[in-house]
Amino acid sequence: MTEDTLPPEDELVERLKNNDVVLFERVVKEYHSAMFGVAYSIAGPAIADEVVQEAWVSAINAIHKFEGRSALKSWLIRITANEAKTRLRKESRSVSLEAVDENWATDTRFTEKGHWAGGNPEWDISSPDDLLAADELQDCVKKHMVKLPDNQQQIINLRDVGGLDMDTICNILEITASNARVLLHRARDKMQQVVARFQRTGEC
Amino acid sequence: MLSCKHTIAQGTDYLDKELSFWRKVEMKMHLMICVNCRRYVKQLKQTVVMLSKGQFKQPSEQQVEQLKKEYQEVSSKQ
Repeated sequence: MTEDTLPPEDELVERLKNNDVVLFERVVKEYHSAMFGVAYSIAGPAIADEVVQEAWVSAINAIHKFEGRSALKSWLIRITANEAKTRLRKESRSVSLEAVDENWATDTRFTEKGHWAGGNPEWDISSPDDLLAADELQDCVKKHMVKLPDNQQQIINLRDVGGLDMDTICNILEITASNARVLLHRARDKMQQVVARFQRTGEC
Repeated sequence: MLSCKHTIAQGTDYLDKELSFWRKVEMKMHLMICVNCRRYVKQLKQTVVMLSKGQFKQPSEQQVEQLKKEYQEVSSKQ
């Protein structure tokens, strides 16, 4: 959560172009996590670290050409996604959209008529800052993020963790906008359920 | 009237302002009378903000040092 302390975007980029190594280190520490999530979801756990490292090196070599048409973070995430795509994992754990529909029928949160079966309680920990400060909860979120099917994991990392817009994401993943929206909702819904269960039971 | 199950299925499109006018009206009507779905939409948003700010993986000291070195080498050549 050090994002707030980085200088404004144009100053940030200008200083990075002018050999400000102290600032560069802060940028690495700020954006590494999001880049790792994207690399992990696209290229797989075995080479995620390597992909991120290569993405940083590409970024370092191209920063003087960066024109600021997107945010620096988006630019870094795109570089990471492209780097990861060239080394796409062979085996895939994607779940088809049809399978997503099957889950619909068996969702135990709802009655047959589509009402909440046991209501939906308020969260005890609810502000994003408090959620982030709860270490056990964060570990639980992390654990379940990597359990999402590949295509859901990719989209939630590109969109919510990486902050890219949907058009860019559809281009990167070569999927239609409507499929992307279904997958994104599925992933977010799953993460909401992870947080909700943790708050209700204290268990991951 | 939308069911709760159908309402929350539109949660992402609602937050991202991707619903058509009438769908949005329909959803807002449901949310007005349903506290469980209202909570869900709020929680979904909190989840998204949490993900956008979360730090799940920090680089190792070695990685940082290596990148700083690379950065300084490239910068000095510009």
